[in-house]
Amino acid sequence: MSNDQYNDKNIPEDADRIEQALPDAPPHDTEIPVDTNDAGEIAVERPTQEAEDAYGRGEGVGEEMEVQGLSQGQIVWGRFIRHRGAIFGLVTISSVFLLSLLSMGIGPIPGLWHVQDISSGDVVNGGRPSLSIPGVGGATEFAIGPNPFGQDSLGRDYFAQVMTGVQTSLLVAAVLGVVALTIGVTIGSLAGFYRGKVDMALMRFTDLVITLPVIVLGAVLGALVSRLPMRIGAGPELTQSIRENMPVLLAVALGCILWTGLARLVRSEFLSLREREFVDSARVAGASDWRIITKHMLPNAVGVIVVNGTLLMSAAVTLEAALSFVGFGISPPNISLGFLISDNQGAFSTRPWLFWWPGLFIILIALSINFIGDGLRDAFDPRTKKIPSPRAMAKAERELAATRVNQQSKEATR
Amino acid sequence: MSQDQTQQRSVFTDAIKLSRDTGGAVAKGDVILDVKDLTVRFWVGKEWFTAVENMSYQLKAGEVLAIVGESGSGKTQSSMSLLGLLPPTGRATGSADLKGTELVGMSIQELREVRGNEISVIFQEPMTALNPVYTVGFQIVETLRTHYLMNPSAAKERAIELMRMVEIPEPEDSFNKFPHQLSGGQRQRIMIAQALACEPKLLIADEPTTALDVTVQAEILKLMRQLRERVSAGIILITHDMGVVADMADRIIVMKDGQVVEHGSSHDIFNSPRHPYTQQLLASVPHLAVGVDDSELAGPPNTVIEVEGRPVPLSSPRSDGEPTLLMEDVAIVYPKQGRRPEFRAAEHINLRVEQGEVVGLVGESGSGKTTLGRAAVALLPVREGKLTVAGHDITNASLKELKPFRKTVGIVFQDPGSSLNPRLPVGESIGEPLLLHENLKGAELSKRVEALLDSVHLPRSMRNRYPHELSGGQRQRIGIARALALNPKLLIADEPTSALDVSVQARVLKLFKELQEQYGFACLFISHDLAVVEQVSSRIAVMHRGHLVEVGDTLDIVTRPQHSYTQRLLSAVPVPDPEEQRKRRELRDAIIEREHIVS
Amino acid sequence: MARFIARRLALALGTLFVLSFLMYGLLEFALDPLVDLRENPAPNRAELIANRVRLLNLDVPWYQRYFMWLGNFVQGDFGLAWRTMQPVGRLVQGAILTSIQLVFAATIISILLGVTIGIVSALRQYTTFDYAITFVSFLLYSLPIFWVAVLLKQFLAIGANDYLQNPTINWPLVITLSLVSGLFWAGALGGRRSKKIKVFLAALLVTLGVFVLTLSTGWVENPTIGIFGVGVLSVAFALGVTAIFAGMNNKRALYSALTTAVVGTIIWWPLQWLFHYWEMSWPWMLGLLAVALLVAAAIGWAFAGPDRQISIRGAMITALFTSVLIFADRVLQAWVPYNNAPQILGRPLATIGAETPGLAGDFWMHQLDRATHIMLPTMALVMISFATYVRYERGAMLEVLNQDYIRTARAKGLSERVVIVRHALRNALMPLASIVPVDFITLIGGAVITETIFGWAGMGRLFITSLGGQEADPVMFYIMLTGALAMIANLVADFLYAVIDPRIRVNA
Repeated sequence: MSNDQYNDKNIPEDADRIEQALPDAPPHDTEIPVDTNDAGEIAVERPTQEAEDAYGRGEGVGEEMEVQGLSQGQIVWGRFIRHRGAIFGLVTISSVFLLSLLSMGIGPIPGLWHVQDISSGDVVNGGRPSLSIPGVGGATEFAIGPNPFGQDSLGRDYFAQVMTGVQTSLLVAAVLGVVALTIGVTIGSLAGFYRGKVDMALMRFTDLVITLPVIVLGAVLGALVSRLPMRIGAGPELTQSIRENMPVLLAVALGCILWTGLARLVRSEFLSLREREFVDSARVAGASDWRIITKHMLPNAVGVIVVNGTLLMSAAVTLEAALSFVGFGISPPNISLGFLISDNQGAFSTRPWLFWWPGLFIILIALSINFIGDGLRDAFDPRTKKIPSPRAMAKAERELAATRVNQQSKEATR
Repeated sequence: MSQDQTQQRSVFTDAIKLSRDTGGAVAKGDVILDVKDLTVRFWVGKEWFTAVENMSYQLKAGEVLAIVGESGSGKTQSSMSLLGLLPPTGRATGSADLKGTELVGMSIQELREVRGNEISVIFQEPMTALNPVYTVGFQIVETLRTHYLMNPSAAKERAIELMRMVEIPEPEDSFNKFPHQLSGGQRQRIMIAQALACEPKLLIADEPTTALDVTVQAEILKLMRQLRERVSAGIILITHDMGVVADMADRIIVMKDGQVVEHGSSHDIFNSPRHPYTQQLLASVPHLAVGVDDSELAGPPNTVIEVEGRPVPLSSPRSDGEPTLLMEDVAIVYPKQGRRPEFRAAEHINLRVEQGEVVGLVGESGSGKTTLGRAAVALLPVREGKLTVAGHDITNASLKELKPFRKTVGIVFQDPGSSLNPRLPVGESIGEPLLLHENLKGAELSKRVEALLDSVHLPRSMRNRYPHELSGGQRQRIGIARALALNPKLLIADEPTSALDVSVQARVLKLFKELQEQYGFACLFISHDLAVVEQVSSRIAVMHRGHLVEVGDTLDIVTRPQHSYTQRLLSAVPVPDPEEQRKRRELRDAIIEREHIVS
Repeated sequence: MARFIARRLALALGTLFVLSFLMYGLLEFALDPLVDLRENPAPNRAELIANRVRLLNLDVPWYQRYFMWLGNFVQGDFGLAWRTMQPVGRLVQGAILTSIQLVFAATIISILLGVTIGIVSALRQYTTFDYAITFVSFLLYSLPIFWVAVLLKQFLAIGANDYLQNPTINWPLVITLSLVSGLFWAGALGGRRSKKIKVFLAALLVTLGVFVLTLSTGWVENPTIGIFGVGVLSVAFALGVTAIFAGMNNKRALYSALTTAVVGTIIWWPLQWLFHYWEMSWPWMLGLLAVALLVAAAIGWAFAGPDRQISIRGAMITALFTSVLIFADRVLQAWVPYNNAPQILGRPLATIGAETPGLAGDFWMHQLDRATHIMLPTMALVMISFATYVRYERGAMLEVLNQDYIRTARAKGLSERVVIVRHALRNALMPLASIVPVDFITLIGGAVITETIFGWAGMGRLFITSLGGQEADPVMFYIMLTGALAMIANLVADFLYAVIDPRIRVNA
C-alpha cells in the first residue's frame, strides 16, 4: 500500500548510520580509526557521487552532449514527456477526470449527463449496462444508451454513481496529498536540517505512527470522523455540513497518517544535502536557516517530494476505497468507489457489472498516478542516462560494421 | 572456468592451473602486448562517439608504460577495452595481441581466463573496489582459486604470502579483516596483492594512487617499484599525475581527446616534449622549489616547529595593523554523537594571517585542515581558545553577532560541482551575498554580478546558466566570484583546485594570484598539494593529526623543513622530473631510515 | 551485543507504551459505547445507560481509565468485549495464530518470489521482460486488495471447484498459460535470439505437456506425487541448486546434492510406514526435518571437496526441498477422503473461514484442510506485497551492479554466475532489512481486509467488528499485538542487518 519505500535505493532508511561519516576527511581515505563496536551508530561510508558510474570514472564520455543551454525544469520535462508510461498515465487520468467532470458537473454546476440526481427508478432490462461496443458480447454497433454502466437493484443509474465516486476519489487523493505532503516535508526537513535532538524527537514520533498499519489507523480515524458531529455537539446544520464534507475530513485525517514515508525520505535527502558545500556556501554568505531550507535545500529535494507525493496519492485512492469497503470510510450521502464495491459485493453473481465498473476506475486512477510517478522519478534522477536496450545496441553495432566496411572499400578503391 | 584444462604446472605453486596460459612463460624484454589501431567507441544518444582512436603501442615485459592524459582523454577506456570491461554501450575495434592471443573480439569465456590470470587490474578507489561484505583474505583467495585448482588452505597460505609481499602488517590477522577495517593504503596493497596473485603478464594500474594521501602514495609507489623488479610483468600505468609518471614510467603515451599526441621514452618526453599539448601539460604542473637560488637560503631557516608536544607558538606580528585572522590556542571538537565519542579534530592551534597575506595550510586527509578553515568562517564552533577575524571575535558569537562578520569573509570550496546550488542560475548564486548584506536588487545587483563575472574572466551571458552547464574550471571561477562578492578581508580557499585537471588548475591559480593582487584580501589557502601552495602563499603552515607541526616562510618550508613530518611530506611529493625524482626518492628513504633508527 | 538488544528492547517498550496511550485516547473519541442505548425507546433507558457506564467505568476520565486498563493488561487481563460479554483473552485465542499464520506465509512467499523476480528483472534491464515485469508490478500496486480478493474468490476458487465437478479441458486457457510460460522463461533466461527461441519452445511444450498430462489423466482430481515424483523433482532441484550456488564444475558439491536427493527418495518408502502407524504432529514433523538436515549435512561433510561448506549447504537445501516434497506427498494422499468428506463434497477450494468446522480426519487431512483455506487469502496478500519487493530488489540490484567491486570481480576473471550470486546478491539483499518490517506491517493491514472477505476468524476481522461494535478493549488488544509484532519485526531486521553487514557488525 505504501509505494514509496523502494525509492531510496541502497541507502537504508535509518540514515543515522550514515549521517555520522566523519565530517572532515573525504569519504574514501580516512586514516582515523572508526569505532567498530557500535552497531546502530556506526558510519557506513556512503558512496561518493563519482562512484555511481563504475565505468566512466573521470572519463566524461558523452557528458558534453548533455550539457546544453537548458534549465533543470526543461530537462526534467523533456525526460518526462519521453517516458511512454508517464504519458499514458497523464492522458488516462486527464480523460477520467474530464469524463467525471463533464458528466456530473462540480459543486452547484450541473454536468451534461442526463441523470444528475441519483434517485431510484425502474429497473430496465434487469439493470444490465446499455453500453455496447462492437465486438464485445456480440454487439454490432457502438451505443451508450440510457444506463451505460447499468443500474443497481433500486434502479439508480450506475454511471452517475461511478462518476460521482471518481470525483470523490480524486478529491480525497488531492486533499490527502496536500496534507501529507505538508506534514511530511515539514517534519522531514526539520529533522534532517537540525539533526540532533530535534531529529530524535521527530523520528521517534514518525516511528510511532509507522508502527500501526495505515488501514488500522485509518479505520480508527474514519470512525472518529464519522462521530465528529456528535463529539463536538454540533447542531443539525453543522452536522449536515460535516456529513456533506466527509470526504474532505476523511482525507485530512488520512493525510495525518500517510506522511511518514515521505518524512523519512525528505529527512535522508536533507541529511545528504546538508553535507553539500553549497549549503555551507549560503551560510557563509549570511543566509538564515529559513532561507537555506526554502531557497537552497527544498528545491533540490523537489524530485523526491514530487515523486513520492504522486505515489502517495495513488496509495490514497486504494486506501480510501479499502476503508470505505470495511465501513470506516465514506458513507452515504457521499459516494465513493470503494463504497460502491462494498455495497454491491453480494450482487456479484447476479449483477457483476456493479462490481466491475468501480474496480476498473480505481485501477485506472491508481495505475495512471503510479505511472506518472515513475516517469517523474526517471525524469528527476540525474543518473538515468538513457542506456540503450540490447536490441538497440545490436542495431548500432551493425551500423558501425556497415560504415567501416564502406570506408575500407573506399580506401581500397582509392 | 576452462573447458580444456591444460594441466600446466605453475612456477610458484604445485597447484594445477585451471585457466589456460597463452604463449608460455615470458622473459624480460619480450614484447608481451602489441596494440594496433585500437579504437573504442560509445553509443551515445543516436551516434557513435569515439573515445579512443587508432591507438598503437607495444609493451615489453618488465617495462612500465604510462598513459597520461586529462579527464575525457580516453586513457582508462583504452586499457579497459583490453579486458572487455567496457560499459555495455562501448565497443572496441582494432587489434591487441597478448603473446599471440588476440584480445579484441574475444569471447567472454576466453576473456574470463585472461582476466585476473594474465592481465590484472589495480583500480583507483581501494574502498569501493573491494567488496565490503567479504574479508580481504577471501577476496585474494577467490582470485587464486578461480584460476588454480587449489584447496582453501593452500590458497590461504599463498594469499598470506602475497600479503606479506605487499607488506601488510600481520598478514595472518589481516587475512580475516574486512576492507573497512583497513586504512586506504592497506586496502590498495590488498588490491595489488590480488592483482599479482596469479602472476599476470600484464598489470594495468588505473590511477592507483590518486585516492591516497601523498605519504601513502609514496609508499605504494615504492612497493610497486620493488614488485616491478620481482615480477616480470609489463605494467600499464594510467594516471594524470606527472609526478607519479616521473617516478615510475619507462615510456609514456600522452593522450588528448582520444588521440595519442605523443609517444616516447620517459626521458624524451620530460626533457624534450615535441607536441604543444605535452609542452603545455608539463608547463601546467606545479613544481616544487623551482629556480631557488642558493643565495636565498643564506640565513637560518625561518620556521617554527612543534617540539615534544609544545604547540607551535603564535608568530610575531609583521605589521602594525590588526591581523586578519588570529587563532590563539584554538581547539575544535566534533561533539559526541550517540555512542560515538567526541573527536578533537584540531587543538592548540596558534596561527596569524596578516592583512593581504596568503598563508598556505597543508596536511593530509584527516589532519584537520578543512576543519580549521571551516571554523575560520564560523561554520564550526570553537571549543577552546580564541578566534578573531578582522577584529570580530567569533569564538562564542551568536547568530546575530555573526551577521556583520559574514561580510568580511568568503570561502571557496573544493568541489565545484557541489559548491553551487544546482537549482539556481549562477548569477543568482553570485548575487546572494549582495542581496543578503547590501540588499541590492534589480539593475544594481546585476551590474555588480556582471562586474564580478568580468573579474573572473567569464562572459556576462553566463549569469543565466545553471551550474551543470558549466565546466569544472568555470564553476570554480563562479565560486571565486561569489566568495569575492562582498570584497572580503579574508578568503578561505579550501582545496580550490584539487578537483581540476592540471591545465585548468594552472589557469585557476593564475586567476587567483591576479585577483589577490587586485583585491588585496588575506587568504588561508588550504591544500594537500605542497607545490600548489608554494605557488600562491608567502608562508606555509603544516598540519598533522590535528596539530600544527611547522609554520614558516614558504621558501624555507619547501627547501629546508625542520619538522620530521614536514620533511617526510615534502620528500613524498613526486616531482615531474625523472632525474630529480630519483634523487628525492633516495633522500626520502634516508629520512625514513633515520626515523627508524631514532625510534 | 546484550546492550544493543537491551537498548532496542527498551526503546520498543517505550514506543509501545506511548502508542497505547495515544490510541486509547483516540478510541475514546472515536467510539461511543452507548450508541445503541441513546436511541433506545425502552422505558428503562436511563438505568441501562447507568449499567453500561458502571460496567465500562465510563464515569472515570479516560486517562485514568487508561492506566486501569494498562494495569490489567500487563497482568494478563485484556478486558471485555461488552457486546458478547466475553473476555478478550478468550476471544482472541484462536484468532492470533490464524492471523499470524496468514501474514507469515504471505511475507515469506512474497519475499522469495519478489526478490527472485526483481533480481532477474534487474539482470535483464531494458529488455521486454524487464518492461513486462515493471508493468505487472505497477498493475499489482494499483489493485485494491479487497477487489482482488473478491475476484479470487469468485473466479479461482469457484471456478476450480466447478472444474473439479465436471472436468473438461479449457483449451484456450491452457494454451494461453503455456504461451505465457514460454515467454516468461525466454525473457528470464535471455541470451541470443536463437537461444531465446529454443527456451521459448521448450518452456511452451513442457507447460503444455504438464497441463495435458495432469488434466487428461485425472491427476487433478486425484493429485499425488509418489516416490517417482519425489525422486525426479528432488534430483532436478539438486541439479538446479548446484548450478546456481556452486557451479557444475564443483563435482563434490554436485555429488553431495544428488546423493541427498537420492537418499531422500529412498527414505520415502519406510516413512510411509511410519506415517501410517504413528499419529503424526508438528513436533514430529520438525523433528524429522531436523534429522533430514543433519543427515544431509553429514553427506555434504563426507563428500567434502575443497569447499566443505558449499557441499554441506547444497546438500541441506536439497534435503529441505525433498522433505517438503515428502510432506506434501503424504498430505496429498489425504485428498480423496478429504474430497469425499460430507463437509466438502467435491468442492475442496474453500472461500470462507480458516478451517472446515467439524471435519473428522487425521493430522494429514487437517493439514490439507488448512492448505485449501489459506491458499486464497495468502495469494491475495502476496499479490499486493510481491510488487513492492520486485521494484525494490530490482532497484537495489541495479545499484549494486554499478558498484566498483562488481567491476573488480569481473576483472578477476570470475564467471558471471559467481559475480552475481556471490558478489552482487549479498550486497543487494542488505537493504531488504529496512524494507521487510515496513512491508510486514503493511501485510498485517492487508490481512484486515482479506480476513474480512474470506470470513476468517482472525485478528483483523476481530478488529473491524469490534471497532464497528464500539468495543474498545478488543481493539486495544489488536493494537498492542500489532505494535508488538511491528517492534519484533524491526528488532529482527536490525539484528539481521548487523549480522549480514560486517560494517555495522555488533561485536560481543
